[in-house]
Formats: sequence, C-alpha cells, structure tokens
Amino acid sequence: MRIVLDRPRCEGHGLCEEAAPRLMHLDDEGELVLDREEVDGPDAALARAAARVCPVAALRVA
Amino acid sequence: MSTPPTSDLDLFADEVLLDPLPFHAELRETAPVVHLPKTDAYALTRYDVIRDALADWESFSSTSIAFNPAANQALTGTSLASDPPVHTQLRATLTENLSPRALRGLKGRVEMKADALVADLVEQGTFEAVDALARAFPLQVVADLIGFTGHVRANMLRWGQAAMQVLGPMNRRTAESFPIAGELYAWCSQVKAEDLAEGSVGRGIFDAEARGAIPEGSAGHIIHQYLGAGVDTTIAAIGNVVALFAAHPEQFRRVRDEPALAAAAFNEVLRFWPPVNVWGRIATRDVEIEGVTVPKGAQIAVLLGAGNHDPRHYDDPDTFLIDRNPVDHLSFGYGPHGCAGQGLARLEAHAVIQALSRRVDRLVVGPEVRVPANITRSIDSLPVLEVIPA
Repeated sequence: MRIVLDRPRCEGHGLCEEAAPRLMHLDDEGELVLDREEVDGPDAALARAAARVCPVAALRVA
Repeated sequence: MSTPPTSDLDLFADEVLLDPLPFHAELRETAPVVHLPKTDAYALTRYDVIRDALADWESFSSTSIAFNPAANQALTGTSLASDPPVHTQLRATLTENLSPRALRGLKGRVEMKADALVADLVEQGTFEAVDALARAFPLQVVADLIGFTGHVRANMLRWGQAAMQVLGPMNRRTAESFPIAGELYAWCSQVKAEDLAEGSVGRGIFDAEARGAIPEGSAGHIIHQYLGAGVDTTIAAIGNVVALFAAHPEQFRRVRDEPALAAAAFNEVLRFWPPVNVWGRIATRDVEIEGVTVPKGAQIAVLLGAGNHDPRHYDDPDTFLIDRNPVDHLSFGYGPHGCAGQGLARLEAHAVIQALSRRVDRLVVGPEVRVPANITRSIDSLPVLEVIPA
C-alpha cells in the first residue's frame, strides 16, 4: 500500500505525525515529509490512522 | 428509493438553540437524514454521514452554508462559501497566513499571554470567566496578530458575534445582526495597511497583496475571515473549557497530572460541546444516503454535535472523558473546508489549558448563563466564585 499526499492541500496541522510518527514528520519549515511511502502490515494500519485524522483530507492510503 | 423521515423540530427555536444536543440526538436516533419542513432543511445526524458529506464537495456545495439567501449572497466569492477549483485558490491565500506553518513563530508569545492572564485571574480569586478569559484572550490574540487598533478593537466582539448570527434563517436574531455584520464588512472593504499595527500579520497580508503573492483586493477579505470566523467560535471553545473543567474536576485533574493531555482535553471539549451548532450545505444533485434520497437543491443542515455524540462512532458519547482524545471529532468540520483557523484555535486553547493546569487546582463556579444564538453555541457568562490555586 502507498501513502498519497495531496501537497497543495496539506496545511501542516501535524495530526498525522502524532498518529504515525514512524512514517511522517513535519520538518523545521512545518512542511510534511513522508519518511515512508510504501507501507504494509502494522505500518499500513498506522498510515490509515494518519490519513483518517488529517483534518483537511490531504492524505490517503491507496 | 424512499424519502427521508420528517420531523417538526425547528432547529432555530430558542429552546433548541439553548440546549440542542438532546433534540439533535432524537433526530439522530430517528434516521441519518431527517427532513425538517419547519427549518426548510434536511438534517444530517450521524457521524459517518456527516463526515462523508463534508468530504464530498461535489454533491454538497458550500454555496449555501447560511440558512438565508441574503447571507449566502453576501458570502459569494469568499473561501467559506465557494467550491473547488475557485475555493482551492482562495483557501491557499487564506492559509498562507493562518496555517500552523505560518503561525509557528507565535507559540511562545501566545503561551506567555495566556499565562499572564490566568495568573492575574487566579490572584483575583473571583472573576467572570467568559468576559475575563474566554473573550479577553482570543480578542487580544487576534487583535495583536492582525494589528487592530482603536475602534476596531472595541468592535471585534459584536462584529464577530453578528457575523455568525446572520448565517441563521431570517429570524429576529438574523435581522438584528445584519446591520452589525454590515459594519464589519464595510470596514474590511476599506481597511488599508496603515490602519494596522506595524509588524503585524495583518500588515504582512497587505505586503503579500502588494507584491502580488495573493490576488489584488483579497487582503480585506482575509481580515474579514479572521474577525468573522475566528472570534465567536474560539470564545465559545475557551468558555467551554472553563465550564467543563469546573464541572468535571476529576477530568481537570487528569490534565494537571499529565500536561501532555492538553491537546486531548481540547479535542474532548470540542467534541462534547461544539462551538458551531449547525452549518449549511446545498445538494447539487439527488444524493442517495443510506437508502433515502436527498433531492437536488435541498438545503442541508449539518448537525456537528449530533455526529460528535453518535454512539455508533464514540463509546459512551455523553460522558466527558479526556483520555478518549477524539482527534477525529467533527467540530472543525472536515475536508476541503475544514476550519482554516484550527491551528490558531489550538494554539490559543492549548495555551489556556496549560496555564489553568499549572496554576489552578480547582474552580468553583456559579450557574452558567446562555443566550440563544443561531450558529454559535456559547456560554454568555460563568461566574467563578472561588479559585483553589495549585
């Protein structure tokens, strides 16, 4: 599975990082960085949790 | 395909606005969509249905977020009331100055202000929590942020309240608020960079306009959104923080013991008592929702609190429980129109919660007073009779 970020829509609220700190983080500029894009197993569940809490629906798992 | 069930509830009747959740719960347990002829709207009542509708801007347009045509007309061309692709550009312009990215340098100053204000109130021992904290703090933060001075500062509260009030149906509250919302609109239409304090974010918005980073004429609109959408709602949220902490001392104790729970506490306050009680959309086509059809052109009433208290999504939803950390609550909306100011709201509320948890052991409060309002549900006054300091 793959984490897909709609970059223009991302506003840096950072809730995804709280849900899945292993997979993504906000950099010093407040921009979201996906540390991993291909995920499976427990990471896929984390990725879905991160996508779920994005308040502006900028993340999805496909 | 069948039609949704009907209820004779008037969403904007005084007794419903004062205590909406039991009425909304009855609708939610009737069906996920309920037709309300008295409000001339179709209410969305359950968590999943609401979240899906907020994400589906193609079926549920924001061109009718208000419950009267004059307000929808007045909002035409704003980020709040437009759909993609126009919305995408307007939103980007707005969040350029409002996103957590843009606000990240502000945290320390906001925290210092909250701490100074709370320290002062603890020292006083008794105070009126809505005026002295819930209103004072966001008004100060937004005024300093945008750089408001003079008579604008004095008008922020009534302008902010009126801007939300006029989104209701054309009742007495709406009619009385239109001239006041008009004052805000008129001021924002002619405000110039030099009217705002030097070095403020407001000045920065005008600088961005001057160098072509945002479209010409958009600076006034952005300032309008700060005042119209960011004042009344944040005031409601902070008032609710104080009231719910006072009413649930064991929950407040959790935050005192574990300061990292400030964010979870704010999520639960927002879930439990959403500042925005009802919000509009309009169906762009016949939409099927769980086996019933909402007809094209129908005014939609999104009942955020009904979704937040849906037992299909949250266990024991009517219990105030900070540890549940309901990060996916609906009170900021969701999706492309998810509250643009939520980063600033979090910054303010977390600062207040942390200051309270550092300095207060327990609050003894008197009865809260509520005044019915069309869109924002907030406490109008809440006497703190005694502060037991930490």
